[in-house]
Amino acid sequence: MAALTRPATGGSGGVGGASGPRQPHVLSNRWLQALAVIVVFVAGYFLFRRLGSPSWAGPFPTGIGDEFMAWLDGVYAWIVENRNTSPLFLYGFNYVSVGLGSAVVLINRILDMLTWSGVTVIGVLGAWRVAGWRVALLVLATFAVFALTGLWNESMTTLALIITSVSIALLIGIPLGILAGRSDVFYRVIRPVLDFMQIMPAFAYLLPFVLLFGIANPAAAVVTAVYAIPPAVRITALGIREVPKGAVEATTSLGSTPWQILTKVQLPMAKRTILLGVNQTIMLAVSMVVIASVIGAGGLGDAIYQALAKVNVGEAFQAGLAIVMLAIAMDRVTGAVGHGAHTPNIAPRFQLPILGAGLIVVIVVVTAARAMGVRGWPRDLSVDLSAPVNAFYEALQDGIGTYTAALSEWTLTWVLSPLSNLLTGSPWWFVLIVAAALAWIFSGWRAGLVSAASFLVIGLLGVWVNAMDTLSQVLVAALVTIVLGVVVGVLMSRSDVFATILRPILDAMQTLPPFVYLIPAVAFFTIGRVPALVAAVVFALPAVIRLVNDGVRGVPAGTKEAALSQGSTRWQLLSKVELPMARGSLLLAVNQGIILVLSMVVMGALVGAGSLGFDVVFGLAQNELGLGLASGLAIVCLGLFLDRLTQGRRAPRA
Amino acid sequence: MRKGARLLAVGLALAMVSSCAVRTDQIARDPNTVRIALNGWVGYEASAEVLAYVLREEMGYEVQLMRVDEQPSWQALDQGVLDVIVENWGHEELMELYGPEGNGTVVDGGPNGNEGVIGWYVPAYMEEEYPEITTVEGLKEHTDLFRTAETGDKGEFLGGAPGFVTQDQGMINAFDLDLEIVYAGSEASQITEVRRRYANEEPVLFYFYDPQWLQEELDLVRVDFPDYEEGCADDLSSVPCDYPAYELNKIFRAGFVETGDPAYQFLDNWTWTNADQNQVAQMIADQGMDPTDAAEVWVEENPDVWRSWIPEGFEPLS
Repeated sequence: MAALTRPATGGSGGVGGASGPRQPHVLSNRWLQALAVIVVFVAGYFLFRRLGSPSWAGPFPTGIGDEFMAWLDGVYAWIVENRNTSPLFLYGFNYVSVGLGSAVVLINRILDMLTWSGVTVIGVLGAWRVAGWRVALLVLATFAVFALTGLWNESMTTLALIITSVSIALLIGIPLGILAGRSDVFYRVIRPVLDFMQIMPAFAYLLPFVLLFGIANPAAAVVTAVYAIPPAVRITALGIREVPKGAVEATTSLGSTPWQILTKVQLPMAKRTILLGVNQTIMLAVSMVVIASVIGAGGLGDAIYQALAKVNVGEAFQAGLAIVMLAIAMDRVTGAVGHGAHTPNIAPRFQLPILGAGLIVVIVVVTAARAMGVRGWPRDLSVDLSAPVNAFYEALQDGIGTYTAALSEWTLTWVLSPLSNLLTGSPWWFVLIVAAALAWIFSGWRAGLVSAASFLVIGLLGVWVNAMDTLSQVLVAALVTIVLGVVVGVLMSRSDVFATILRPILDAMQTLPPFVYLIPAVAFFTIGRVPALVAAVVFALPAVIRLVNDGVRGVPAGTKEAALSQGSTRWQLLSKVELPMARGSLLLAVNQGIILVLSMVVMGALVGAGSLGFDVVFGLAQNELGLGLASGLAIVCLGLFLDRLTQGRRAPRA
Repeated sequence: MRKGARLLAVGLALAMVSSCAVRTDQIARDPNTVRIALNGWVGYEASAEVLAYVLREEMGYEVQLMRVDEQPSWQALDQGVLDVIVENWGHEELMELYGPEGNGTVVDGGPNGNEGVIGWYVPAYMEEEYPEITTVEGLKEHTDLFRTAETGDKGEFLGGAPGFVTQDQGMINAFDLDLEIVYAGSEASQITEVRRRYANEEPVLFYFYDPQWLQEELDLVRVDFPDYEEGCADDLSSVPCDYPAYELNKIFRAGFVETGDPAYQFLDNWTWTNADQNQVAQMIADQGMDPTDAAEVWVEENPDVWRSWIPEGFEPLS
C-alpha cells in the first residue's frame, strides 16, 4: 500500500536512466559473491550449533529493549492520567481531537441530510462535469453497489472520514511539497521522514494516535491523513521540480517576485502532476479507512469486521466490493481531472446556466426526497451476494482444501521453518555482518552501513528473535511474489488480450482490503505462517506484474526486430534483449514487491503469522504501547535493510 | 424540530473548540444518542443489538454502536466518546485505572445476568477416543496428539484473539504440559481453523469461551483443571488453576450516569440470561440473519422480559 506511489515518481527515471544492458559476467560475478556469503553464513550456523550455541553466539540481549518498552509504557500511563488536566492536552491535542471528531460527524450528518437520492445526484452530476459521462456512469454504478449491498449508511460514514482526512492531508501535504520542490535542503530533510511514514506499519501507530487524539473519528482521521500525506508531498515536489528552468528564469528576468513565480508559473505548470498526487492521496486514504475501523471509525471497514467475526466470507466480500468500487470511482474521477480528458466541452456562456440548472436539480431532488421521508437507502431493497459467494467458497474448499493444506505443511516444514531456524539460531553479530555484506555487494558501501545500523537498532529494540522470524517469512513471500510477478508480467506483455483481461483483476486485487481474503487463506492453508504468506503474495503481486509488463513493453520495437532478424529465438530475445533492457523496471519491481510484502506483516499476524506482526496487534489490543511501538520500529528497520539491499548501485531518484 | 436542536448541539460543540481549554469529552455529540461499545464477539453483539433495538424503536433514542476491542473501549469511556460497555469480562486493572479509585471516569454498572466461562476445549470426538483427555493427567499424556507442522515436537495450543483475557502460558508452565501456544491472531481465523479440523476430525486443543455461538454448532468439551481460587492467577507465569467463572457486568461512563437519563436507567435495569443471549447470537451467526432483524425477532417474542427494563413512567418520544 505504502509504496504504490513510488512507480509514479521514480519509475520512469529508473527505466530511462539505465544505460543499455550490462555485461552479464559482471552481474553473475556479484551473484557469485553473494552466494559465497550465504554459504559462509549457513556453514557458520552449523558450526555455532556444533559449539553448543554459547551465550556469546546467541540472539541479541534484550536488556536495553526492555527498558525502552517500559519507558514507553510509563509515557502511556502518564497520558491516560493527565489527558484532561495537562495543558499540553487541554490547549493542544484536544483541540485537534475535538475539532476533527466534530468535522467527521458534521460531514456525515450533511450527507445524511441530503438523502441517498441527493448524494447520488450530486455525485453523478459532479462526475459528469469534471470527468465526462463514462465516469459519471461508473459513479452511478458505485452508488448502486452501496445501495444494493445494503451498506449505504456505512459507505457514507466512510466517505465522510475520507473527505476529512484527505482535506487535512492535502492542506499539509501540498504546501510541504511546494517547499520541497523549491528548496533542496528541505527536500533532503523531509525525504527520510516520508520514507519512515510509508514503511511504518499503520497498525503500529494506531495506538500512539489514539492516545494523543482520542479514540474513534479523531484518531482515525489523523491516522488516515498521516498515511496519505507522503504521495501529496513527493508528487507535488516532483511537479514543481519538473517545471522547465527556462520558464522560471524568463519570469525572474522580467522581475517577478518569488510569490509571482510560484502562483503564475510553477503551480499552473505543475498542476497535472499535483493532481496525480491528489489522486494517490485519496487512494491511500481509501485503503487506510478500513484499517482505521480497528479503532472504532465505523463505516465499510467495520462491515468487513462484523462479517469476519461471524466468519462469513460472502458478507465480507460484499463490503469489500463496495470499497473496491469506491476506490475505482474516486481514482477515475480525480484521474480525469488531472488529464482533463473526457471533460464535456461546454461553451463558456453555458457554464453558469448549467451549474445553476444542476443546483436546481439537486435542490428539487433533496427537497422531494426529504418530503417523502427518504434518508438512507432502505435495507430491504438490497441484493444478497453473500450466499452465492459463500456457496462457491465452500465448494472450492471441499474440492481443493486437502491439497492446499498438504502444500501448506510442506512449505512450513521444508522452507519456512529451516530458514527461520537459520536466522533466529545464528549469533546476532553474524547475521548483522552477513546482511551488511550482502547490501554492500549489491548496493555499495553506504547501503552496507545502513543495513548494519538497521540490524543493530533491531537488537537494541529488544525484539531480535521475532524480527529474524519475520524476516524469514518476508524473504520467502517476496521470492514467491517476484517469481510469479515476473512470469505473469512477461506473459501479460506478450498478449494484449491477456493484458486487457488481467487489468481489472489487478485493479480489484490492489484495492480489495486484505481482510477479505485473510479468512479464506486460513480455510485453505491452515492457520499459521503459510496463509499469511499467501495473503502477502496476493497483495504484492499486482504492482510487480504491472511494473514488469511496463518494462518489457517499453523495450523499443526496433531493437527487438534487429535481434529477431539476426536469428534469435523467442527465448533468446526475452533473456538476452528484453529482460536486460527492462532492468530498471525489474529492479523497481523487486524493490516494490519486497516493500509491499513487508507492509503485510501485521495483517499476516491476524491469521497466526506471529512474531513482530503479532506483537503490534497485541500491543494495540492490550494497550501495551512499548511492545507495539518497538515491534513497529523493528519492521521499519527491516524495511530499510530490504530497501537498500534491492535498490541497486544506482539508486533511483525518488 | 429535533433535527434543528441536534445541529445546534453540533454547532455549540464546534464553538466550544474556539474557547480555551478543551476536554476530550467536549466532542460533538447528540444528547439524544446513546453510544454503545461493540466488542468483537457475537454474544456481545446480540446484547448490544437488542438494547439498541429497544432504545430506538420503543424509546425513541438514536443509537450508535462503535466496534472496538475491550481495552480501547475502556479508553473510549474515559475520553467520553462512548456511554456504556454492556458485557465486561473482569478487567480489574482497568477499573483501578479509570474507576472511582483512579480517573473517576467510569462506573461499575453491576451484573448483566450473563455468566461467562473461559477454558480449554477439545472436540467431543476426541473425548470419545481418549476419555481421559479432559483431565490434567490425561492431557499431559496426550500432548503429542496435538503436534502440527507449526509446533514441531510440541503439542499445539490454539490461543485466542489478542484482545482477550488469557493465562494460558501460566497454566502450561504450572501443569508442566508439553504444549506451545500458536496465536490465531484473530477470533475469525481461530474459528475457521477449529471448524476445518472439526470437519476432518483432526485433533485440536484451544482457548474458547461460553456463551459463544460456535458452542451451538460444534460439540465441544471443556478440559477440567483445578477450580479457580482467589489469588491463584496473580503470577501470570505460573497459574495452577482454571479460569475463574465470570459474572459479566456493565461499565458506564460516569458522566452518562450523572445525567440520570431514562436511557441510562433502562440500561441499568437491564439483565437477561445466557439462554436469551444465545438465542439472539445464534440467529445472527448461524442463520446469518442481520443483527437488527435478529434483535427484532427476540423483542417481538419476549415483550414481558424487556418491558420490565423500561423505567417507570417513561413516556416515549414521538
